[in-house]
Amino acid sequence: MTGERKNKDAARQKPAVDHDLIRELARLLDETGLSEIEYERDGQRVRVARQAQVVAAAPPPRPALPAEAAVPPAETAPLDPAKHPGVVTSPMVGTAYVGPEPGARPFVEVGSRVAAGDTLLIVEAMKTMNQIPSPRAGTVLQILIEDGQPVEFGEPLMIVE
Amino acid sequence: MFDKILIANRGEVALRILRACKELGIPSVAVHSTADEDAMHVRLADESVCIGPPAARDSYLNVPALLSACEITGADAVHPGYGFLSENARFAEILHEHDIHFIGPKPAHIRLMGDKIEARRTAKRLGIPVVPGSENGVSSDQEAASLAQSIGFPLLVKAAAGGGGRGMKVAHAAEELPAALALARAEAKAAFGDDTLYLEKYLARPRHIEIQVLGDGRGGAIHLGERDCSLQRRYQKVWEEGPCPALNDEARDAIGETVAKAMREFQYLGVGTVEFLHEDGKFYFIEMNTRIQVEHPVTEMITDIDLVLEQIRVAAGGELELAQRDVKFHGHAIECRINAENPVSFRPSPGKIVHYHPPGGLGVRVDSAVYHGYTIPPYYDSLVGKLIVHGKTRGECLMRLKRALDEFVIDGIETTLPLFRALVREKDIIDGDYHIRWLEEFLARGGMETSMPLA
Repeated sequence: MTGERKNKDAARQKPAVDHDLIRELARLLDETGLSEIEYERDGQRVRVARQAQVVAAAPPPRPALPAEAAVPPAETAPLDPAKHPGVVTSPMVGTAYVGPEPGARPFVEVGSRVAAGDTLLIVEAMKTMNQIPSPRAGTVLQILIEDGQPVEFGEPLMIVE
Repeated sequence: MFDKILIANRGEVALRILRACKELGIPSVAVHSTADEDAMHVRLADESVCIGPPAARDSYLNVPALLSACEITGADAVHPGYGFLSENARFAEILHEHDIHFIGPKPAHIRLMGDKIEARRTAKRLGIPVVPGSENGVSSDQEAASLAQSIGFPLLVKAAAGGGGRGMKVAHAAEELPAALALARAEAKAAFGDDTLYLEKYLARPRHIEIQVLGDGRGGAIHLGERDCSLQRRYQKVWEEGPCPALNDEARDAIGETVAKAMREFQYLGVGTVEFLHEDGKFYFIEMNTRIQVEHPVTEMITDIDLVLEQIRVAAGGELELAQRDVKFHGHAIECRINAENPVSFRPSPGKIVHYHPPGGLGVRVDSAVYHGYTIPPYYDSLVGKLIVHGKTRGECLMRLKRALDEFVIDGIETTLPLFRALVREKDIIDGDYHIRWLEEFLARGGMETSMPLA
């Protein structure tokens, strides 16, 4: 929920494989009659090869190499916090507050260790303060909301693992 | 005028309300369950708030969540659409308590018309003829039996807290009455939390004719003509048209003025529909719906008046800019409610729409929130959309409807499009010669199998 309709595409990362590049290389391969093109850019190396044709019996044909693309370094954590297994989402619509009252210390900070049931934050709705408990014991890895931020049902609030 | 309207509904009516907000230049908030994240009106609204999981009870009927959504978005008005909380007087009152406008009638009127026994009494008091029946709720089977003697059989046992075709049981003869009472009582208790019952004469072959009204809440009210909604299956309307093929101008003006006068006396605010059964040239009041109705586009097409826009305007304190003489009827309009159901068994068919092509052209309107690739969720009603067609005459309208139905493509789910393709080719429909039992009789005698619909 935001002033603009949530744009899920913006949050999604760029594709790991550059399809346009591969298509372009394959086209070049066909046009030039080359049997293999290797291309490197931004740490990614791509090799596109034509399957070898057997025209003479004598030399054994080179083993056919399928077009392959180097895989970029694997991401260590998913970019979308909503998909994190430790995410705590809002059970209601309201306003999120990190502490029990203005000026007071927040209930938790990044790095805080919590037990199951410990209060993580408050979601206020219609002047009623609702304490949001941690569903599990663990460490607060991320706090995804700001103090006083409006939240909707299902909105990711924190990551506790 | 309102600063921001929160649309407390979903599906095609939410999109309808959104369109009016956009045309009035009023920012809109779309609230939705998790199942409706990809709804068209959610995409188009200025803001959206997810208010709960799929179940209506936890989302669209969740008053605290709706209030909270108003609070965090700063919405100063709520449009309830139809169904859900649209006729919940308590919800309207709660909104008022929080200085939020409810785009609808005054809570007292919602409450009054929500009690079907009170509604009958009020109608009588206002000079509107009612179906012969019991004055009050029936307190015992014995009372029911003696009342039944004077009313006569067959009769209908109805729930006072019901309406919209729900909570009704027929008793054809005295022996059937105890069972009908017991069943109706149990159903009413379960569905409405109130088992108060009343009795009404069961008319033989009436038409269902309803009058659209609009009031400014200060004694100004007009009628916008009638709609014939006789084609129903299990008391749910399927095909509506206006003007009614069986009414002439004189009859229309007479009943329209009777109803408008009553609404003036009532100081009714907003849109509403007074529903009648019509038999042997006589009108019999059954109930009043204090909300915008599904079939409102029929009236819009023949009067060129945007009912949702007018609804928002009068709710914001605006004057009725239209006088009765400004309301003119031109041509004929027919609406078909297309459901995601098998056209013969009516079994629900939720799922993904893989091909979607709505018809277009002059006089063709499609009020639907579905789109190519949209998945109909299984949690709510099965309405895919409404096809509304207008023509200069009823004949032209029928030809246009046939053409539009044949052009309409909705693949991936089953829909009731074949039912309408069959109906538009049926002699009785073409002649306008039908009544409230016609459709069920048509289906019972295998009308769908013997006609030649295009699948």
